[in-house]
Amino acid sequence: MDKILKIEEQRKKLVYAGKMGFVHWLVVIFSVVLTLAAWQYSKQQLEQKLDAKFDRNAQQVVRLVKERMQLYENVLWGAVAYIDVAGSDINYSQWLTYSNSLNIDLTYPGINGIGVIYNIKEAELANYLKQQQALRPNYSIHPDHAENDYWPITYIEPAKTNLQAVGLDMTFEKNRHSSIKKARDSGKSQLTGPITLVQDDMKTPGFLFYAPFYKNGRKPNDIAQRRDAIVGVTYAPFIMKKLMLGTLARENRNVSIQIKDGEQLLFDDDDMNMNIQLDDNPLYSKEISIDMYGRIWTFYIQSDMSFREEASSNQSLFIIVGGLTIDFLLLCVFMFLSKANRKALRYADQMTIVLEEQKANLQRSNQDLEQFSYIASHDLKSPLSAIKQLVSWIEEDCQQVLPDESKKHLQLLTQRSDRMMRLLDDLLAYSRVNRSVFEMEPVNLALLCKDALELSGVADQFRLEVEDVVINIQRTPLDIVLRNLVSNVTKHHHKKTGIITVAYQQNRHSHIISVADDGPGIPEAFHEKALEMFQTLQPRDKVEGSGMGLSMIKRIVEHHHGSVKIESDGINGTKVIIYWLKEQ
Amino acid sequence: MSNISNREDITLLLIEDDDVDAMTVKRSFLKQRIANPIVRAYDGVEALEMLRNQTVSRPLIILLDLQMPRMGGIEFLTTLRADDDLKDIVVFVLTTSKSEEDLVKSYRQQIAGYFIKGEVGESFLDVVNVLDNYWKVVQLPK
Repeated sequence: MDKILKIEEQRKKLVYAGKMGFVHWLVVIFSVVLTLAAWQYSKQQLEQKLDAKFDRNAQQVVRLVKERMQLYENVLWGAVAYIDVAGSDINYSQWLTYSNSLNIDLTYPGINGIGVIYNIKEAELANYLKQQQALRPNYSIHPDHAENDYWPITYIEPAKTNLQAVGLDMTFEKNRHSSIKKARDSGKSQLTGPITLVQDDMKTPGFLFYAPFYKNGRKPNDIAQRRDAIVGVTYAPFIMKKLMLGTLARENRNVSIQIKDGEQLLFDDDDMNMNIQLDDNPLYSKEISIDMYGRIWTFYIQSDMSFREEASSNQSLFIIVGGLTIDFLLLCVFMFLSKANRKALRYADQMTIVLEEQKANLQRSNQDLEQFSYIASHDLKSPLSAIKQLVSWIEEDCQQVLPDESKKHLQLLTQRSDRMMRLLDDLLAYSRVNRSVFEMEPVNLALLCKDALELSGVADQFRLEVEDVVINIQRTPLDIVLRNLVSNVTKHHHKKTGIITVAYQQNRHSHIISVADDGPGIPEAFHEKALEMFQTLQPRDKVEGSGMGLSMIKRIVEHHHGSVKIESDGINGTKVIIYWLKEQ
Repeated sequence: MSNISNREDITLLLIEDDDVDAMTVKRSFLKQRIANPIVRAYDGVEALEMLRNQTVSRPLIILLDLQMPRMGGIEFLTTLRADDDLKDIVVFVLTTSKSEEDLVKSYRQQIAGYFIKGEVGESFLDVVNVLDNYWKVVQLPK
């Protein structure tokens, strides 16, 4: 029963293993969640990285522009210092020498030139023009205007690229004029708002950068003094494009920029017509406003395509695709395993069915055999009885008339009939012996053996030595076994008297009962044969026996999952050992 | 006439298919010098016919074998006990069957005794003696 329960349990386990269980789904779901979390995390990391990078790049751009502008301011203040030292009224050749020594083209890329603007009052105008035309006959102030305040560009170097600017009066245009006045009033360097330089054929945005200088190199403290002492400004014109080209190395930026002064566009990467991959829908954008020498410049900075490329980096894509692939494979493995389990179960079930069929067939054929031997022996017995009956009547009735020879024949006939009757009885017993189920009960081995010897009818000729133990065993089958063993001893003994020794031992699984005698023994070659049905080792006319005894014992013992062993050298007696399973 | 039978009046109805077995019974009666008439039927069907036709006279005792063609002993007993006219007849079973089942089934039908046919010889004489003593002392309905 235990075995069947265990098998049932194992089968249940297999059934369970054949299904995608709660745990399997949990593992798959957990790993999917883990994948998504890793994907999100890597995306976030990337965003943070890009965010930081964009911020760094944006600040870098602003810093570079600022630094460059500081450099230019220094140039202007340098020029102011030179004028302060040389005296306010420097002439053209002095300025030419100064600017040449600066080597502007190489030292300050992005700058369009460096020049000087004097502030000329109405009264001084004629004198000023005369003075300038002494060295440069073509010099004139232009364009005309209604103001009585003049800020003509006096010198500008390199002159070649700035020809249109020479003599240009800042007063003519409000932007230039107001800024220069602001520089005068503040004493500080000052930018103009966006303008178009006269020397720029492309008419792109630009600006002017002024630094004021006063009489005798003074630095007056208030506006009134400054207005009173103003001499002029050093100035530098810038074309925004050129400035930016010199300032920003395009390759390292990864951002596109626009610079505006108020609403007016100063610079736009888009106009540069360079190898810029603008992003129509930028991932990042930023607005930075800074004070740029009296103007507010607003930098509009956007991430370009290189950011987008980096943002769509494959790392997180790899994580999600790889992770989900692994999850899918995991699911496949689970499904495969459960399928394999289902297959195993199906196979086991089929095997069980086949075995059950075989078992049923075997049981049927066993039953048939038992039925057959029962009926055969039973049906054979009645005619045999009749024969015996008739023989006895002939003997009775014809006592007087039968010759002695015939009487002897009738005797032999009776004897053979008896033998056949015994054979049939034993066969019947053999076929029925395992039909009933017997319960275990305490059995006294010594008593059982004594009874068996009594039944043999020669108890007085044999001595029985037996252990006095009580064992828990099925009484009736053991009784049959012992009776057969004892009767074997008495029947086959070569002397009139003998000793039968019954010993008992046990191990964890089995009772071990041995029945030993001092009879003639069984040669080892016949041990196997002795256990077979209908086998006798002596002629039947000498020792009456059906040859069923040992095979009956074997059948009973094996029915109780035990075994029979014969120990004998064929000279000094026989020992039959019965191993009888305790639990069944 | 009184309702009480005499020993000599009692007929033995032997229901037995085997000739040798029937002869054994007859021979044993002869040997014991029992002179009561023995009527033989070969199976249950024939026995019932004889009883219902009253070809066999009462008082009678039935000696019944179990294994027979057409109608066996148990079936015969069942039919007999179901028949109001016949249910009072005393029946002994004489059979080769040692089966516990046969024994129990037979006694359920109120048999007077169950004998197992021994092998040849003295043991059968014992059965005959029992029967002889039985109807010496017992009173049967007519």
